[in-house]
Amino acid sequence: MSKIKSIFKHKNQVLKSGEEGHLSDLVKGQKAKVTGLHGDNLPLRRRLLDMGITTGVVVTIKKIAPMGDPVDIELRGYELCIRKVDMQNIDIVVM
Amino acid sequence: MKIALVGNQNSGKTTLFNCLTGSNQKVGNWPGVTIDRKEGILKGTDHVVVDLPGIYSLSPYTAEEEVSRKYVFEEKPDLIINIVDATSIERSLYLTTQLLELDCKVVLALNMADMLEKKGIIIDVEKLSNLLDTTIVKISALKGEGITELISTISQGKIKENRHQKIYQNDVEEAISYIHSNINLIHKRFVSVKVLENDINFNNFQNDKVLNLRKKLENNYGFDIEQIIANQRYEYIVSIKKESVIFNPVKESITDKLDKIFLNKWLALPIFAVIMFAIYFLAVGFVGNATVDWIDSLVSKFGEIVEEFLLNNNASQWAVSLVVDGIIAGVGAVLNFVPQLIILFLCICLLETSGYMSRIAFFLDKIFRKFGLSGKSLIPFIVGSGCSVPGIMTTRTIEDEEEKRMTIMLTPFIPCSAKLPIIALFSGYFFDKYSGLVSASLYFLAIIVILLSAIIMKKFFFKSNTSAFISELPEYKIPSPKYVARDVFEKTVAFIKRAGTIILLCSIIIWFMLSFSWKFEFGVNVEDSILASIGKCLSWVFYPILGELSWGATVSAIQGLVAKEQVVSSMSIIAGFSESVSNSDLIFNSTGIFGFFTPASAYAYMVFNLFSAPCFGAISAMRRELGSTKKMFIAILFQTGVAWVLASLIFGIGSLIMLL
Repeated sequence: MSKIKSIFKHKNQVLKSGEEGHLSDLVKGQKAKVTGLHGDNLPLRRRLLDMGITTGVVVTIKKIAPMGDPVDIELRGYELCIRKVDMQNIDIVVM
Repeated sequence: MKIALVGNQNSGKTTLFNCLTGSNQKVGNWPGVTIDRKEGILKGTDHVVVDLPGIYSLSPYTAEEEVSRKYVFEEKPDLIINIVDATSIERSLYLTTQLLELDCKVVLALNMADMLEKKGIIIDVEKLSNLLDTTIVKISALKGEGITELISTISQGKIKENRHQKIYQNDVEEAISYIHSNINLIHKRFVSVKVLENDINFNNFQNDKVLNLRKKLENNYGFDIEQIIANQRYEYIVSIKKESVIFNPVKESITDKLDKIFLNKWLALPIFAVIMFAIYFLAVGFVGNATVDWIDSLVSKFGEIVEEFLLNNNASQWAVSLVVDGIIAGVGAVLNFVPQLIILFLCICLLETSGYMSRIAFFLDKIFRKFGLSGKSLIPFIVGSGCSVPGIMTTRTIEDEEEKRMTIMLTPFIPCSAKLPIIALFSGYFFDKYSGLVSASLYFLAIIVILLSAIIMKKFFFKSNTSAFISELPEYKIPSPKYVARDVFEKTVAFIKRAGTIILLCSIIIWFMLSFSWKFEFGVNVEDSILASIGKCLSWVFYPILGELSWGATVSAIQGLVAKEQVVSSMSIIAGFSESVSNSDLIFNSTGIFGFFTPASAYAYMVFNLFSAPCFGAISAMRRELGSTKKMFIAILFQTGVAWVLASLIFGIGSLIMLL
């Protein structure tokens, strides 16, 4: 029962255009602009910056793995796989 | 002149390296194929070219990326060929901007030029070259286009000096130039940026003034310094891309269409299972059944001819026995399985070059993470189904140290190509029509054992965090038939060579130990031979697996340490001795020394050989990658322990089922 509830909750929580959140909140096909990076894993943060996840960049949720995680996102003309857990460290505003 | 090949992962560095040097290094369609540097000579010159593992920036993230950074800084190449994937130019140029900060000439090789049109991208190369202030050559490494031009550009020295453009905003540039004027060493501009970024590798250049400059910038921008620098690098790239690249997005690409099937929510796992099953079914079941008898009869006919020839020439009895019962029986037993191996090598090569392997890592990541591993550990496992040694070496792409160690210890569990003869021999004889099914079941058992072992290891040895899974999904590619053929051919030749060297040597030793007693009398009863007496001392170890005290099975399993296919070779020689026939088809003859095997003990014995300590080659690869002999011994004990317990359980349960 709680599982069904959580699915509905998730559905209601789909962010609308202009709303702020984390990259992990988006569903397939949604587009968002990155507004910042946080998190204590500094090497990981460095890696994300190097891969082009910098403020102002536009990302699209392109493919999602069959079990819902990891996610393939499109940015800067290429695609990157990243886990939901790490996507929580990326602040976005939905476009 | 020393030339370094530097570029992102899966950008085609090794393909280019092979073009430039005429060598034949392994390529693949997944990020991280190259894990160590490789050297070659530029065609028609005496310049040394070095192929390096792919990197995304000069701040390395994994051990194999560190190899590249170290090479650039410590070996001081005279020229860097920066290979840029033209189809993802924005991200690729990020590394370029860092390379252009070094005191080293850089030439850009704009690769995958043949793919641009398909992707709707037009690049004004001359303009891009002017904007970046560096030399650019358009190439397609895969098709061999533009390579002559690249070589002549290099050998004629027509390469622009690296003049270090100012690419950041004024306030950042001011801070950099302050640091720049206060340090004196090579790669001054690059180091200045790193000092400003507060990089721990350059701590000795930090001072209060730098700290103040950094604080001021961070306050002005509202971000920390790493973000500011990365943002401005990308802003610069976007600005030059705007002027030199036109992008007309195409409709859905073929890769996206294929991913709708291969990454489909419901189909992905079944498709994966079917593919893996098909590989083993095809190799062991289908091709095996069709070819084994034929080659076997060839080998035994060859044995008869040689025997006759030797007897006609009055060769002594022991010499005939050495050649026929030792060498031909031992080496021939292994060569029987060459057709199966060709199929296996072909399938693995197709998995690696098509781009499907990265998908497997992608969709299994979530399951593997539950067990303390990640999708990245899957790549060593799949490579390991060819041979554990390169599989173990591939673990360098895993950034988390503990996850890497677990993967190293688990990779040998995957049935490698040398274990295929064992599987084919036993499942072909005892499970006949179901041999393909039984072989595939061993593969899936291996996956289960890996996951269960991961739980055990995590509980007792490691408190593992899995590493982040940041990877790319490469585009699907139709593998180049020429490359696939060469790869399969080389691996097959290597296997045959091993049969002609290690297996041959072992066969002679085994023959000797079977023919002589401790008193060095020739032609003793096989039960009184040296080998039998050694085996009898240890056969109790295998009692729970075989339900029988068998010195023959005992010594054969131990020889798996030399090479796993030696198990088959040894059994063939021993069986031949006890029955005075050299035909390996009769290994399991009911009156012979291995006549006691039942389907249950056969399966259990296979499981033991598959999961116990790997061959010496793989053990030394484990030693190298684990970095300590103690850890290596722990790994071997762990593997052998798991194998013994599992095999005993299977024999027990299997025997019960057979009773019913």
